[in-house]
Amino acid sequence: MSLLQEERNIILNNEYVDNFDFAEVEEFVKNASKDLFISYNFKTKNKMLVQPRGGFPTYDKMFALYEFFDKANVDVLPCTIDSNTRLNDYATAKKMLRLSEENEVDMLNGYPLINHGYRTSRKMMTHFNKPISLRHGTPDARLLIETAIASGIFEIEGGPITYLLPYSKNFPLDKAFLYWKYVERVCAEYSKLNEPINRESFGPLTATLVPPCITIVIQLLEMLLSLEEGVKSFSVSFSQTGSMNQDIVMGAVIRKLAKYYSEQIGVTDADIHLVYHQWMGAFPMDQNYASQLINMSTVIASMVGANKIITKTKQEASGIPTKEANAETVANTQYTLRILNGLPNIVDEQEEEILTAEVMAIMEAVFNDPADTLWRKVFNSIKNGTIDVPFSPHIINNNEMITVRDKNKNIRIIKRGKVPIPNRCFEYEKNQCDLNKDTTSIVNDIIHDIGIMQ
Amino acid sequence: MSLANKMNENKLLIDVGSTYFKLCTKDNVQQHFRDFNKDIFDDLTYKCGEIIKNYDKENIHICSSANGGLSTLIIGVTNSFSLKYATNIAFNSGINIIDTVLFRDIEKTSIPSDLIDVVIVVGGIDSVSNIFDERLFKFLDGLNYSNIVYVGSENDSAFLKENINNLVVLPNIINEKLHVEEENLKEYLTNLYQADIMGKEDIKHLYDITSNQIFSTPYIVNKTLPMIDSKFKVADPYILIDIGGATTDIHYSKDLVEENMVTENEYDRLVFKKLGVYKSKESLIFAAKNNEFVYELLSHLKVTEHIFDESSEKATRVLMQLAIFLVLCKVSAYRQAYVNLKLNALNSVVFTGGITKVLKQEEIEDIVTFFYKKILNSQHNPTIVMDTNYDVWTLGMLEK
Repeated sequence: MSLLQEERNIILNNEYVDNFDFAEVEEFVKNASKDLFISYNFKTKNKMLVQPRGGFPTYDKMFALYEFFDKANVDVLPCTIDSNTRLNDYATAKKMLRLSEENEVDMLNGYPLINHGYRTSRKMMTHFNKPISLRHGTPDARLLIETAIASGIFEIEGGPITYLLPYSKNFPLDKAFLYWKYVERVCAEYSKLNEPINRESFGPLTATLVPPCITIVIQLLEMLLSLEEGVKSFSVSFSQTGSMNQDIVMGAVIRKLAKYYSEQIGVTDADIHLVYHQWMGAFPMDQNYASQLINMSTVIASMVGANKIITKTKQEASGIPTKEANAETVANTQYTLRILNGLPNIVDEQEEEILTAEVMAIMEAVFNDPADTLWRKVFNSIKNGTIDVPFSPHIINNNEMITVRDKNKNIRIIKRGKVPIPNRCFEYEKNQCDLNKDTTSIVNDIIHDIGIMQ
Repeated sequence: MSLANKMNENKLLIDVGSTYFKLCTKDNVQQHFRDFNKDIFDDLTYKCGEIIKNYDKENIHICSSANGGLSTLIIGVTNSFSLKYATNIAFNSGINIIDTVLFRDIEKTSIPSDLIDVVIVVGGIDSVSNIFDERLFKFLDGLNYSNIVYVGSENDSAFLKENINNLVVLPNIINEKLHVEEENLKEYLTNLYQADIMGKEDIKHLYDITSNQIFSTPYIVNKTLPMIDSKFKVADPYILIDIGGATTDIHYSKDLVEENMVTENEYDRLVFKKLGVYKSKESLIFAAKNNEFVYELLSHLKVTEHIFDESSEKATRVLMQLAIFLVLCKVSAYRQAYVNLKLNALNSVVFTGGITKVLKQEEIEDIVTFFYKKILNSQHNPTIVMDTNYDVWTLGMLEK
């Protein structure tokens, strides 16, 4: 028996798992409808796929949500997991699920997949014959993804960096890498049986003034860590930055470099997709403005040429959106995509060249780390500040990089910390900003820039 | 490289424990019960001399817990940073006895009468000054210690050096980001361990047979943990419980605690100095009698408290089962302690030490199940793994 299978046996020997049947699950994946695989949808649907967010605790409410989405002509269904499950606290999730079922009140902010179990969940996940995307935020997602795939969920979001640095204060990063290695291997194993399981990285990170070079580096590294374990379908992603030009430049650079680096490690048979998140920062309270912002995000996603867009709702600023609001966004986004014809092809050569140089310099520094494995090189690079994510709450993050917006709302690096971007790029970034102000004014600018869409 | 491959290099690994010698060659692992009437070197060479003479000094690697480990007193400024960081480094360096003093309470703290091997003074980041004052010197005057090291704010180091004899100053273990910087203090403590061995009459002769540094066994065990899945069927997060004659060590995966710090280790160590089944038998019984669940456990094991007064094989087995139960209690949310582990997230528990020679797998599983049911009200059942060969330490011997 392989080490991986030994580990799987232990992970699935859990009091909250009702007799996991490996052979039955394998048979199910082998014979599952191809329409359930987003990797197949990417290949066959000649359009940008639209996916909302959403998850409710009870089976009935989740099913009702999916019915709403289905009527709104959704392309990809979401399965957002509750916070307790994200923290591997299945006991509390179980209690809260029971309370939700008994009292008609949502005591969880998502669907507790482990507690429902794969046999029950599979009925719902296969009913609509649409691909489902697992949205969670779990550093240790081993049990969750086993249950998800067994349920018919064939896209797994997240990664050791993107599901840790924005979400966690002190979960050990080295452990996260090892746990995600398991996820990649299991996805790669199941990918041999039918269409590939798609892995998607979480590009928005903290969604707070993250400079494009950092976003892209992390996307590329999670992609490489996934591909090296045998994953054959991967989505890189990023969220709206606040500058249309910067988004378009990011889209071009991330596509180009994803291809370049996957070839560098000898992988030429994997499909790489691009996912765009509608605005992930602080939303306007005014629902009309929120709708305008969502619409603008859709336009930019088209300009970027994304393969999938992940939507927000006009209720974003006021709590967990209703299923009606979610479905409305899906319908509106589909409509906007239909009427967007003849978009101009915008290329900003100078910005692309600068961003490419920044990303390649950081990637080179990561590869030059003396560690013997890629994950440890990346781990060391985060630990020593070569990769630095603004506003990450995690204790391992260096937090020395400072970013502001220039007059065109592009995110610019004004303090690079230990991130090894070339001097000429750094000078270019700083020259776009007015740095002759006093410190208080710059801090006020940063606060303003964080809430720029409000 | 696997152990088997490494052992082909014709190395001999020796672990000197408080109850057993253990020898590992490329062919097998042997254990020899110690004769406490002889000094360690004589006893070892009498029992294993035939094997030892086949190896060059540079190919013999020794770890030892037989000198009892070092004791330390840590004087710090806050529980959240200086004391927590220094305690973590001390545990992971193989220190066995740790007491802490919060500087603001130093005048109210009774001065320990035992000889302290090393005093660690720590506090503040480098930009802070005037943290310590006369109260520290007064406390140290009444203290009986062999070594003292300062690993706090750089700004106070000159002042302390003037006023404390033989003070060793090392770089601050707290950096400006409030992260822990462990390497210098860790190296200092592991070297002190070696010096301690050199000073102990009955084991210093071990250097007659090896030219390699002798490390403390718990330090070595901690080094083995990232490699453990090459030997056992375990899944992270797991804990390793080493129940020996004098102490019980527990090594735990760091994702089992809420308040982590960024260190080089994937696993942290904790030691319970009065929880052993041989040399610490009396204190183990005392701890058991003070645990409200122990009588239910004894009844579950179908024995009465009279078992404490017996000296039989059965009594030893019960004591070992009690030790397992007590150590799990000590690290669970049931007792607020230095760390509380998220035991519901455990996937595996590895047992090593003398306990694996005596208890059967099902006897251990029974106790663990009882603990989860009784203390955590849970049906959770982590996989139990037994280091029956008692050789988990060999994985880390060549990885220092």
